[in-house]
This record gives sequence, structure tokens and C-alpha cells, in this order.
Amino acid sequence: MKKILSLILVLVLVLACAAGFSGCGGGGEAPPSGGDSAPTDDADTGGEPAGANEVVYIGVFEPASGDNGAGGKQETLGVQYANSVQPTVEINGVTYDVKLKIVDNESSNDKAASAAADLVSAGCSVVLGSYGSGVSIAGGPTFEAAGIPVVGITCTNPQVTEGNDYYFRICYLDPFQGTVLANYAFNELGIDKAYCLSKLGDDYSGGLVNYFVDAFEALGGTCIEATFPEGNSDFTSYIATAQNEGCGVFFSPVSTEAAQLIVDQADAQGMSMPILAGDTWDSNVILQAASGKNVNITVTTFYQEGGDPAFDAGVKEWINSDSANLSNNGGDDTIAAVTAMGYDAYFVALAAMQKAGSTDPADVMAALWDTTYDGVSGAIAFDEIGDAIRDVAYVKTANVETGAWDFVTVQGVE
Amino acid sequence: MTEKKDKKEVLYSLIGIAVLLIVIIILEKTIPSTSILFSVLKKGAIYSLAAVSMNLLNGFTGLFSLGQAGFMLIGAYAYAILTMPVTIKLSDSVYKYYDCIVGFQLGLIPSMIIAGLIAALFAFLIGLPVLRLKSDYLAIATLGFAEIIRAIFQWDTIGPLTNGANVLRKYLDLTDVTLPFSNIPFPPTLFIFIVAGICIAIIKMLIDSSYGRAFKAIRDDEIAAEAMGIGLFKHKEMSFIISSFFAGISGALLSMYQYTVQASQFKTAMTYEILLIVVIGGIGSISGSCIGSFLFIACNEWWLRFLDESSNNILGLNIMRSGFRKVVFSIIIMIIVLFFSKGIMGEKEISIKRMVDRLRRKKPKPAVEEGAK
Repeated sequence: MKKILSLILVLVLVLACAAGFSGCGGGGEAPPSGGDSAPTDDADTGGEPAGANEVVYIGVFEPASGDNGAGGKQETLGVQYANSVQPTVEINGVTYDVKLKIVDNESSNDKAASAAADLVSAGCSVVLGSYGSGVSIAGGPTFEAAGIPVVGITCTNPQVTEGNDYYFRICYLDPFQGTVLANYAFNELGIDKAYCLSKLGDDYSGGLVNYFVDAFEALGGTCIEATFPEGNSDFTSYIATAQNEGCGVFFSPVSTEAAQLIVDQADAQGMSMPILAGDTWDSNVILQAASGKNVNITVTTFYQEGGDPAFDAGVKEWINSDSANLSNNGGDDTIAAVTAMGYDAYFVALAAMQKAGSTDPADVMAALWDTTYDGVSGAIAFDEIGDAIRDVAYVKTANVETGAWDFVTVQGVE
Repeated sequence: MTEKKDKKEVLYSLIGIAVLLIVIIILEKTIPSTSILFSVLKKGAIYSLAAVSMNLLNGFTGLFSLGQAGFMLIGAYAYAILTMPVTIKLSDSVYKYYDCIVGFQLGLIPSMIIAGLIAALFAFLIGLPVLRLKSDYLAIATLGFAEIIRAIFQWDTIGPLTNGANVLRKYLDLTDVTLPFSNIPFPPTLFIFIVAGICIAIIKMLIDSSYGRAFKAIRDDEIAAEAMGIGLFKHKEMSFIISSFFAGISGALLSMYQYTVQASQFKTAMTYEILLIVVIGGIGSISGSCIGSFLFIACNEWWLRFLDESSNNILGLNIMRSGFRKVVFSIIIMIIVLFFSKGIMGEKEISIKRMVDRLRRKKPKPAVEEGAK
């Protein structure tokens, strides 16, 4: 009896849960203006009368949970938006419906292999992703073994494409980004002493600081390096050290959770030197943290909102049309650079399939080397390793009054 | 009488294992090797070994330890560093910011055994102070140890050995396993099953030996066990070291399976996953741990994935979206813990003989079930 009672209780809970889910989703579904939470639905039920089109699958290998869940969702949004804009592709005169197969790699190396295998089993012609280099490196061998090409969207670690012919990427690399930041600090800001803070045990911030220090010292500057342990929430001593040492810039390309704390505490301690960071800080989380505070945050990134007004307007309308998209984007309609990159990656994949004249992974892979595409984030072409040929990064700064990013300059390496 | 029964039991078990291995071989020959089925089978086998080694400690010796991820980390790193070819160690393709100080490389099997031995060595040293603690205190101490080990492996001062917090890769992985004395690739899933199977068999034999009976006596009542002349500390230390040895080997297998190793993945969450498998399978049941492991991995990484896809929504309900899988998964676990509080198997083991007997029961007189237990 007791058992039955508790079973009923659990069932009621589940149903309540489900009702709650559909309730909050349903509110967003109401407007018929393309307001599907699922662009994958869009592809098969959309306006196209041809129901008998052949189908080509594009895999989306992105984290939706774990440390990089927030960034991964924004990147996925870009791909989904691109799919809603262009749900079909014409290859050799045959129209294919493009369907997205989205898996969650949970930002974890040990889940990456099975997530990748799931995409392989689904018969994807090409895979896009991932946000976070670690999972891309871990998933790479699975795609390589299956012979499926992958287009990395914002994985900046050099090791992603090194030694793996099947991995391409459309973003710049950490050595480049570190050098760009060093150049910007030394030449544009006119600073010769930098404070570099990275997280102990985080290869992204550690690697970026390493490249920054190399480039900055080569230019003639000096650096003070420090690391903080995982879970640290008190950054006052690091900020105080940076101030006492007379550093001109606070370079801390750390994860967004730590970034929020750093921004708060820098404001509380009246730190006037600019805070410099890499592409991870290009997030509305940082904007929200910086809003109304007396801080100067400058980041390098892949795309600047306003770079392509038509794209911006389209994305914003699409994001606002559905509450699910809005929550995946962090609650507002600021366009993250990773969303723009996801959008470009989707079209690079389509361009490669058209160039190959086939949906066979091996043909797509062969065609990718010579694929070029003029995207919203700039022209994309691949070099002999499979990396994008990019020589500039966008520098932008957080406007603490409007809560938006202000464009500063386009910075290259000398 | 009992000896004859045991022989029959062993024979049936061996037949069962042989059938399992043959099925694996047939699957590997017929289904493409990149299928997710093999990912799940491989990882399931690796987690079975990790769960059984944890069960030896938690279920059979009654030591509530939460250091499993730490020992797996040691095993995974030891394996990766030992088998990485020297040319790659010297180039900067993996050790980008450090100069690797390990100037040699070893074969696959020796590295795996050394990985286990290093984990066992650490267990020996940690066990000296820690095993004098009991229940909750032991759990906290081992949990702390696992976290400390992870922090140390990420420390940049020993970067020349561990590559700091950066990934290790390009060591010998499953694609490098070959048949002895030849270059013919060995079926990877079969390899994992054989290694994990041998290790689990050794643990099973240990549990059935006089040492195993001493472990169980300690679990049931420490004071009574001591009064019977069982050296408490000696046996606890032995169980701890052996468990860690096999955790180290499962770490090595895990690093083979996932092609890359990074200390940041060996968080306490990993220990909890293994603990969950042990609890779901049944504390004190080896076959339960194995079944639990395959079920857990398959649900977590394969069967429930369709819940994440919004294209699978039916009846206009919008409940299926990214993350819904985790909700359903947690509810399943809650149901299991609520209604099967002893886990799938309780303290019993799967017995093929008993199954055969049950099938045959209709013809001959009822088999004596008590004896099989």
C-alpha cells in the first residue's frame, strides 16, 4: 500500500514537472511567426511543400550542461538560427532538407566519446562544434575513426586540429589571441607592466596567459603571473597585488563565474586599470556584472554586434520569438560572438557539401580544404592544418552605462 | 556434495563468460566499430571494474571510502605518461609549456600493471593514517585525498611530469592494441572486456578466499572479528590497496578508451557516479555492480538521449528539450532508491546454474536452492 502511494506520488510529481515545462514553453509557442522552439521541426514541417525531400544530417556537438553549458547553448543557438534561415540545401540539383542532430557532450572529456559516437551512429555528413577545446580534442579521434569531418566553431586550443585531418575550425587560435591582446596592451594602451591571473588547473586560461606573457615580454614589457585555485571566491588579494605592483593592465582570461567575482571586487576596491580578457568574457553575463560599476573591461572576440545589421536584427527577432531561445541565450537578446560563429559554421558546412556535390562525409571532408565562405564574422578559408586563416580579432569594451559592448578597434599582429 | 556443486557452478559460469565473449566478437565483426553500442559497452565494462573495486571496499569490507576518482586519476596519468612515445614527449605537440622529464616509454600491458601498482602504492601510504578512522570520517578523509591528488596533478610545478592542467594525448590507446607478436589489430571492445573480466575474476576469487571471509567478518562486526583473531588493520589495509590497484587499472582503461586524459574530469562527481552504480547494483554484489554499470552508462549516454531532442515532442507538449534527459534520469534513480533499496541484486550474485535449474525444475524434483547460495 505504502509502495503504491509513493509510486502515485512520484507519478504526480513527474506529471506536474512535465506540465510546468510545457506551460512555460507553451507561452512562447503561441505566436505563429516561426516561433518554434525547435528549428529541427521547422525543417520538416516548414513552408516547403516538398515533403519528399531527401534529408542530410548535420551534427551539433556542443555542451548544454557542465562548466561550458552556457556558452555551448549560445553557440547552438547560432546553428539553429542558421538552420531556420536556410532549412534546405541544393546539392547537384537535388534539394535536401537539413536536419540538425544535437547532442550534449556535458563539457566533459569522458562523455565526449559517447556523444561523438551518437552523432556518428546518426549518420551525420558533417559535425559542428564544440565550445571548449578539451571536449573537441577528446571527441576528435572518434570522428576521425568514422571518417566524418568536423568544423570547430570556437575551440581555440592549437591541439584540436593538430594531427587530426578531420578537424577544421573557423576561429583563430590561442597563440594568436594571446599575441593580439599583448599587442593591444603594449601598443594601444601604452602599458609595460601587466598582471596575469589564471585559474590553476584550467588549460584555457593557463595557455592564454602563457602566450600573452611570451608576446608581451618579447615586446619589452614585464609580467607578474599568479594563479588561483578552483572554487576561489576572494580575489581581493590578487587585485591588491596588481595595484601595489603598479601594473597597468589586469589580464585574466578566466571562466565567466570567476569573472563576475573579479568584476565585483575590482569595482569595490576601486581598481582603475583596464581588465583584459579573451573570447570567453564576450558574454552577457559579464555585461550584467559590469553594468553600473566603475570598471573598464576590454575583450578580444570573433564578432562585434553591429557588424552585420541584417543578421543582428534577424537573430534578435528569432531569439525573442521563443522563451526557450531566450533562456538559452542567458535571458536577454545580446548577440554573443559564439552565436555568430555558429551561424557561420552552419553555412560553411553547407558550402562544403555543395562544393563536394555529395553528402558523403569523405567527399565533404575533401571539399572542406578548399571551401571559402564570406560570413558575418569575416571571410573564412582553411590552411593546410585545417585552421581558419584569420589575421584580425575584434576588440570591444563593456559600456557600464548602456550594458552593451562598444566596438574599439580591429587588432592584428605585427 | 558441495564440491561437486561448486564445480558445476564454475563450469556454468565459464560457459556464460565464453558465450558473452563470443557475442562480443560477433558484434564487433558485424556492426561498424564507430557505433555507439561499442562506446557504451566499453565504458560500461570499465565502470564495472571501477564499481567492483569500490564494492570490494564498501560492500565487502565495510569501509566507506570515496577516493575512487583519485586512484583512477593516478592510474590514468601513469598509463598515459608511461606509454606516450618518446618522440612525442620530446616534441612540443603535447608538452607545450614544459619539457617532459620522462625519457622512456613502455608497452601497453606493463604500463597498465604499473599504473595499478602506483595507485596501490599511494593507497598504502594513505591507508596508514586514514584507515584508523571509521565510517564518516574515513569517507571525508578519502574524499579529501582524491581532491588533493587532483590539485597536485594540476600543479604547474610538476608540469614536466604531468603537463600541468593540460591534456595528455597521443599515447597508446585502444587502436594500438594488437594480437601478441603481430600487427593485427585486436578488437577493442573485446580487449576491454577481457582485461576488466580478468580483474573482476581475481576480485571474485579473493572474496571467496579466507581473506574475503575475513573482510566480510570485519564488515559485519569489527569487535567480533577481532575477537576471532582477525588483524583488523592488516586486512583493512589489504582491501584498500587491492581495491586501489584495480581502480588504477580501470583508470588506465578509461584513458585508453577516451584518447585524452585531463585531471579536471576526475572530480568527486565521478566517485559519486561509481558509488551510484554500486548502490543501484546492490552493495555487496559483484554481478549487481556489473549490471548496474551497464545500465547506468547506457541510460546516461545512450538510451535517454532522445529526451533531449525537441523534434521528438508529441501531442503538442513541449517538454522534450535539452536537459530533460537529466530530469528523467534523476527520477529513475529516485524510484530505484525508493523501491529497490537493496539495489537490483541485493547481496545475491547471478548464478547461471540456478537459472538453468529453474528452467529444468518442471521435470526433476525441485533443486536445492540454498546450496547454490
